[in-house]
Amino acid sequence: MTPPSMTNRPALRPGCRLSPASNPESLLLIPEGALRLQGPGRQILELCDGRRTLAEIVEELYRLFPSADASLIAGEAVSFLERLHAKGTVEFL
Amino acid sequence: MITPPRALIAEVTHRCPLHCVYCSNPVQLQAIELPTDSWARVISDAAALGCWHLHLTGGEPLARRDIEELAQTGHDAGLYVNLITSGVGLSAGRLQRLVEAGLDHIQLSFQDSREAPANVFAGARAHAHKLEVAARIREHRVAFTVNLVVHRGNLDHLNELIGLAEDLQADRLEIAHVQYYGYAVENRDRLLPTRSQLEASIAIVEKARERLEGKMRIDFVLPDYYARFPKACMGGWGQGLILVDPAGRAMPCHAAGVIPGMSFDSVEEHSLARIWEYSGAFTRFRGDEWMREPCRSCERKAIDFGGCRCQAMILAGDAAATDPVCTKSPQRSLVDAIVDRVNREPAVTEAGDWVYRIGPSNKVPTC
Ligand code: SF4
Ligand code: SF4
Repeated sequence: MTPPSMTNRPALRPGCRLSPASNPESLLLIPEGALRLQGPGRQILELCDGRRTLAEIVEELYRLFPSADASLIAGEAVSFLERLHAKGTVEFL
Repeated sequence: MITPPRALIAEVTHRCPLHCVYCSNPVQLQAIELPTDSWARVISDAAALGCWHLHLTGGEPLARRDIEELAQTGHDAGLYVNLITSGVGLSAGRLQRLVEAGLDHIQLSFQDSREAPANVFAGARAHAHKLEVAARIREHRVAFTVNLVVHRGNLDHLNELIGLAEDLQADRLEIAHVQYYGYAVENRDRLLPTRSQLEASIAIVEKARERLEGKMRIDFVLPDYYARFPKACMGGWGQGLILVDPAGRAMPCHAAGVIPGMSFDSVEEHSLARIWEYSGAFTRFRGDEWMREPCRSCERKAIDFGGCRCQAMILAGDAAATDPVCTKSPQRSLVDAIVDRVNREPAVTEAGDWVYRIGPSNKVPTC
């Protein structure tokens, strides 16, 4: 697969959604299962609305996690979304 | 505290307009059905207990007129709502109402890529209708899975079947070799694929997965008669799933009725939480206390839990035996005999002689 470009707009695929905020656990609910979200996983996916570009999402993340190393955030967010894309739960519009 | 169930499988009715030759419903179908308010309570209880998913299934769940209401109840309770359907009865209006109710996922079954054999396996003229329903589903932003049950009779069309799911723009494709429960046991010799068919199917799925990565996810279930070790049936007895049958009986698995001496508590008499924790049906094979050798001292018991209790019952006549598909089972020869016979004998190609699923309140199929 070619890696997503910074102008792509990631979005959750139909039938993939975050568990209600009232749930004790943070999950990505998908057909036939769920993925446990760790670290900033939930915040990243909340930004994947199909309107923001990957570049804009990374910028938001800098704001949300000011103490973290910027290049680390960008790299981690992209590889996290690539993994979810391979699982069929995220699309790059 | 035991871990809570993660999914409620709501078998809301056993009525179905199809008569599939591999239907996994029990051969003794249930004619009694819980009323809407009872189902609504069970669904809310399941969410409170810790379930994430609600699977509305049957039979054909659309045979119930209140399925939209039940989907809404599930959604309001925070559950991920999945409808498993043959497509019969999914009009544009009902689909629209289901999506508005918060339906997350639809699984639509196909019996073959070609109309004539598809209708033979379903015992009904349903294939053309399913194609229309699939197009209708794709007009909505809902996850769409195409379910294919594969067997000796349709496995040679596997490439075509995958092509069909692509044409229908499914998000996900589930290819499941027949599991031998319910009606499938009656038709086993005609359904079990040959070894060369099985190997070909594995290669085809592998290639398709590569080609479709990120586009259409493919889940593939192998026939365990050909496996060396059993599947971790239901993710372990009473570990993650709770099934409620049309009459409200709570079961650890859809086939558990084949096990003698099982009594299933009714959701009309006990809370789901109580049933999950204490009901005899759920505690009987939970954990590993019940195991005998070779499972008891086997390092794989935490992986496959000794396999499937219902399969042990069906094949070995003993629900507490090691699943006979396991190479370590002293009864593996029972499975080998079936596999050998099927591989020696030519495929049966005539349409007749299938045992069709009939009832409750269904006529014998005419096509
Ligand atoms: S007859 Fe076919 S469609 Fe109906 S419940 Fe059984 S497998 Fe499903
Ligand atoms: S002996 Fe029992 S636990 Fe071990 S692999 Fe076979 S079925 Fe599983």
